Amino acid sequence: MTVLVQLSGITKTLKGQEQPREILSGVDLSVHRGESVAVVGRSGSGKSTLLSLVGMFDRADSGQYLWREYDVTRLPERKAAKLRSAEFGFVFQRFFLLKHLTAAQNVAMALVNGQGWLPRRKRRAKVMQAMEKVGVAHLATQRPPRLSGGEQQRVAIARALVRGPRLLLADEPTGALDTETGNMVIDVLHAATVDDGCGLILVTHDWDHASRMGRVLRLTDGVLKPESGGTVRPQPESIRILEREGA
Amino acid sequence: MIRFSGRLRSSLIVGLQGIRARKLRTLLSMMSLFLGVLAVVLVQAGAETVRRAALDNVELIEGKDGTLQLFLPPDPKIVPMTLETAKLRKDAVVSATTSAIIGEPGVMPVNPGGAPFDAQFGPDWGGGPDYEVRCDPRGGCRKVEMGQQMPRGQAIELQLTALSADIRQFKPFRPQSGQWLDFTSPPSLAPRVVLNKEAAKGFLRHRVPAEMRIEGAKANMTPQVIGVIDDGQGQPTAYTRLDEMLNWIDASAMAQRGGINMMLSPEASDLIPVMRSKLEALGQRAESLHAEPVQSMRRVQSQLALIQWLFLGMASLVLLIGVAGILNVGLATVGERVEEFALRRAVGTPRMLLAGIVLAETMLTGLLTAGAAIGVAALTLDQVGRFMPDLPSVVQDLQFPWQAGVAGVVAGLVAGLLGGLIPAVRAARIPIATVMRA
Repeated sequence: MTVLVQLSGITKTLKGQEQPREILSGVDLSVHRGESVAVVGRSGSGKSTLLSLVGMFDRADSGQYLWREYDVTRLPERKAAKLRSAEFGFVFQRFFLLKHLTAAQNVAMALVNGQGWLPRRKRRAKVMQAMEKVGVAHLATQRPPRLSGGEQQRVAIARALVRGPRLLLADEPTGALDTETGNMVIDVLHAATVDDGCGLILVTHDWDHASRMGRVLRLTDGVLKPESGGTVRPQPESIRILEREGA
Repeated sequence: MIRFSGRLRSSLIVGLQGIRARKLRTLLSMMSLFLGVLAVVLVQAGAETVRRAALDNVELIEGKDGTLQLFLPPDPKIVPMTLETAKLRKDAVVSATTSAIIGEPGVMPVNPGGAPFDAQFGPDWGGGPDYEVRCDPRGGCRKVEMGQQMPRGQAIELQLTALSADIRQFKPFRPQSGQWLDFTSPPSLAPRVVLNKEAAKGFLRHRVPAEMRIEGAKANMTPQVIGVIDDGQGQPTAYTRLDEMLNWIDASAMAQRGGINMMLSPEASDLIPVMRSKLEALGQRAESLHAEPVQSMRRVQSQLALIQWLFLGMASLVLLIGVAGILNVGLATVGERVEEFALRRAVGTPRMLLAGIVLAETMLTGLLTAGAAIGVAALTLDQVGRFMPDLPSVVQDLQFPWQAGVAGVVAGLVAGLLGGLIPAVRAARIPIATVMRA
């Protein structure tokens, strides 16, 4: 199975505080295609920082980052932006939908980003396809303030999926939602991973949601350790992908 | 190219979305910029109008740019040679100027010295009991003793310019009524005369008999007034055919009285060495022929340029205040949109495009402002003539010059660019991690 992310010995020190604090001290992580990984840990343990490094928002102080076997540790920002656009989908806790745009325009934002140009008709088709996948196509013309929290997060997931990413990075996507809506959002993320066979890294505080992932890792003292012995629990979708690839 | 086109379109789409989302802020930016752009548009429109008006008159009086003017020495022998040389050339016009009086014989004209009819010359203005002030057509005034004074009567004195060919190829006189001189028909013994506006004014005010006297002529003539033109001159002037005039007055006498010169198109410059050779053959020095090109445009432009730059400088100061307004609103907007820009970077928008989005917004704002300012300026110019009928015709017939429109658009775009530059740089520097830590 294709290795999407391979981090080795990643360290990161947060500066700008009274005393610089090493938040990641030698993190090793690999994520395969079709695999879902949950990262849990205390607040301030560095989960979001780890996600920032994987999503190339930030750079590690040391260590190596291979993306599909290519070394992207010191990738220039211009190329990193291109890679983010083509290969990653991001889901955030606070949705980050722009209030002045409709739901469809918010989803289309990921397509109108200067990385290639799609004619309006094709763009619209892609947007509607992504919105249908997460069940919010009927809300295309609505603006975010008129949507519920769950609907907003599903629109945000559609935005993350619209370019057909290889890896979804979700930073506490259920943090601002009630349990029921949170479960629904995790279902949507799961379904997206199953349908498209992309990888998923989920940062969460919720053990129930984490336990639904293929693997659960805990970030403690700057080091990533497998939870419950670190055994990979094969999921139906991972098995299907493994079978498809003949692994 | 495709990438550039994609980025350009992306920045325009997102920029327009931003403008639509923040209409009030856009309006505030436009208001601060409006006066500056309007000032630039009006200064440019004013300068262009003045330039056109000045150039129109200068062309009428001095001739079109590039026309060659030949000044000949006042030698009676030269006149027949000059006429002979220019005879078969349509691109060369010989003109001889003298003064003429039309009206009752043996009386002093109503405008002695060929002065304009509304000018306050004569004994009431600068004269005395035994002398009078007379002014020549070039504005030079002199004392005339009253000893030989004739009685005042119904006669008009004017400057008479006799032409060998159609001079309108060099001086685009504006027809007012009647017709211009026909140089193809046989010459008439009753010289056909075209008056300028000032001379026509005199003939409207005073009923004068049709008798024309020129000093040195064999007899008085009966002129035929066939038309009126605007030649830009303030003095009463009449134009006639040189060959018709030569029926009555000797060419050399005419040359001695008023001077003779020649106008050539730039293509006819081959005549200059010919004329110089002929002058030498007549015993004159070749250098006595003075050739000078007309440079009306350059002269007028250099005179107006200084004033124009001065006013543009003042307009730029007003524009600068508008730029500061855009900058202020732009910085506040970027501060409010930190998360949006960080999010856009997170979904793969390059820094350059983020800067482009901000610049597109400010430049589109500048463009909208320019459109509004141009509209207001054009409307104002259109209404000026309607509400102020006493203004000169050049202002009455004013059309909004396209140069002012271009200046307005450029001013709007430059103001948008300058005002948006710092906000654009700030937007491009927003770290993506902002969205992760929010």
